[in-house]
Amino acid sequence: MTKVPTAGSALRGAATLVAFALIVVPILIVVVAAFSPNDYFQFPPPALSMRWFVEFFGLDNMRGAFALSVELALASATIATVLGTFAALFLARRGGALANVLQSLFVAPLVFPTIILGVALLLLYKTIGMPVFAGLLLAHCVVGMPYGFRTVLASAQALDPSLEEAGQSLGAGPLRTLVLVTLPLIWPGVLAGWLFAFIVSFGELNTALFLTGPGVTTLPIEIFSYLQFQGSQLVIAAASSVQIALIVLLVTVIERVVGIARITRAR
Amino acid sequence: MKSAWRWFLLAPPLALLLVFFVVPVVYLFWVSLHAGSTSELYGASLTLRNYGEIIGDPFYLTIVRRTLGIAAVILGLCLAIGYPVAYFVALLPTRQRMVAILLLLFPLMVSNVVRAYGWVALLERRGVVNTTLSDLRLIDAPLDLLYTPSAVVVALMTILLPYMVISIANTLTALDRRYLEAAQALGASPLRTFLHVTLPLSSPGIASGALLVFLLTLSAYVTITLVGGPRSKLLVSLIYDSVTAFQWPRAAALAFVLLALALAFTGVMLALLRPGRVQGSGR
Repeated sequence: MTKVPTAGSALRGAATLVAFALIVVPILIVVVAAFSPNDYFQFPPPALSMRWFVEFFGLDNMRGAFALSVELALASATIATVLGTFAALFLARRGGALANVLQSLFVAPLVFPTIILGVALLLLYKTIGMPVFAGLLLAHCVVGMPYGFRTVLASAQALDPSLEEAGQSLGAGPLRTLVLVTLPLIWPGVLAGWLFAFIVSFGELNTALFLTGPGVTTLPIEIFSYLQFQGSQLVIAAASSVQIALIVLLVTVIERVVGIARITRAR
Repeated sequence: MKSAWRWFLLAPPLALLLVFFVVPVVYLFWVSLHAGSTSELYGASLTLRNYGEIIGDPFYLTIVRRTLGIAAVILGLCLAIGYPVAYFVALLPTRQRMVAILLLLFPLMVSNVVRAYGWVALLERRGVVNTTLSDLRLIDAPLDLLYTPSAVVVALMTILLPYMVISIANTLTALDRRYLEAAQALGASPLRTFLHVTLPLSSPGIASGALLVFLLTLSAYVTITLVGGPRSKLLVSLIYDSVTAFQWPRAAALAFVLLALALAFTGVMLALLRPGRVQGSGR
């Protein structure tokens, strides 16, 4: 009776080790490769060097793509979170068929194949003549909004309604109640949603694939086209490490400020 | 009356989704029903020919079959590896479980192009695997590991595995242990308990994990292109190729074939596992 569970748990432990290795090793390899001193990646590296990072920031295309990705992520995460918060506050205390339909609509971009959204938006933009940056920004807002919506909805539904009622019965108008009572109570959800929308925008591929244009390229797409047309050179490892470093920074902020538990529930 | 102002909250997010999500997808469907055109985005006449050509052409059917085959293998591997890992993670003490979940979440936040590049750096001819094997004198010439269907399966499977593990681990963590104790007290063996109690109760997690893995596999153009190369084209590659060739009605029809596959799989998952039936009863 005791032997079977231990054999089972040993097997599960082994599976876990293998799985974590398969998930983490490709990312670690990229970071190690970025610090290579040579033209080609040797493992283990003979020495550590920053030359590929210098090269990365020296390439106009790469630096431009990095700057554009950061701008796009900041702008789209902010718009997506504000709109997602509006939608969540509207739906937090509402039931019925209409509310259910709206709720499904607001999370739909999460499960909808984004590659189709990319094609559909490119076609629409071609028809109406949309500028490249604005089109990219709106696409990232659509993709990011469900994250803001879901985290804020969870916070707003956990809120005790009597707090808002107290604000209103003491004479505060709806806007004052929102700013002075509701927002201070749900801000961790708002912040988590913003950080998530930022991360999603910063790594987004499937819509950006179609919507970037000459001179207006995001870092992931720049990495992709460089890999396709110039082969895997180590400047790509440096570019990837810059991507990873920013994510590490943001995850640390999330963990410190809101805690990781909120994120798993948000997924 | 008091909440009338709340309707103003709804207008901006709803407008964004209608104009830049619902309208473009409906428009794409409209275009898929038109003939191609060399001068315009799409021709004037309404037709079902685009769909007819896809269904009637052995080339497209081969690609659809290959797409479904690769997706099925990835899904099977994710489930076979992901379930024991999720079980292990779910049984960890709370703090360690949080660390494990964080380790699983972090890779999901890194862009897939970076994770695919990691596999390229490992598998290419001068990659880590080949150089290590030749340093150990296990091979004389580098192996062609990259640009194969197996490379696509391994890379996509590991990229998507965390979704499966997290989904299943969440339901297993929420599972009421008294059900398991009851089954064992009634004389069920550990295997029987697992098959008849744990597995059915964790089906909502399996369903949501499987859906995420399948849907993301269908869309994973960048990973498929970087790791699979030009010979391992899947449905999503054809959509991209049609767009770059300005064959809009063809691209649109292929996109809706992909969407139909996604919807069909969602329907099958919901019917098979009926996650709604057990939802909440295990909490």
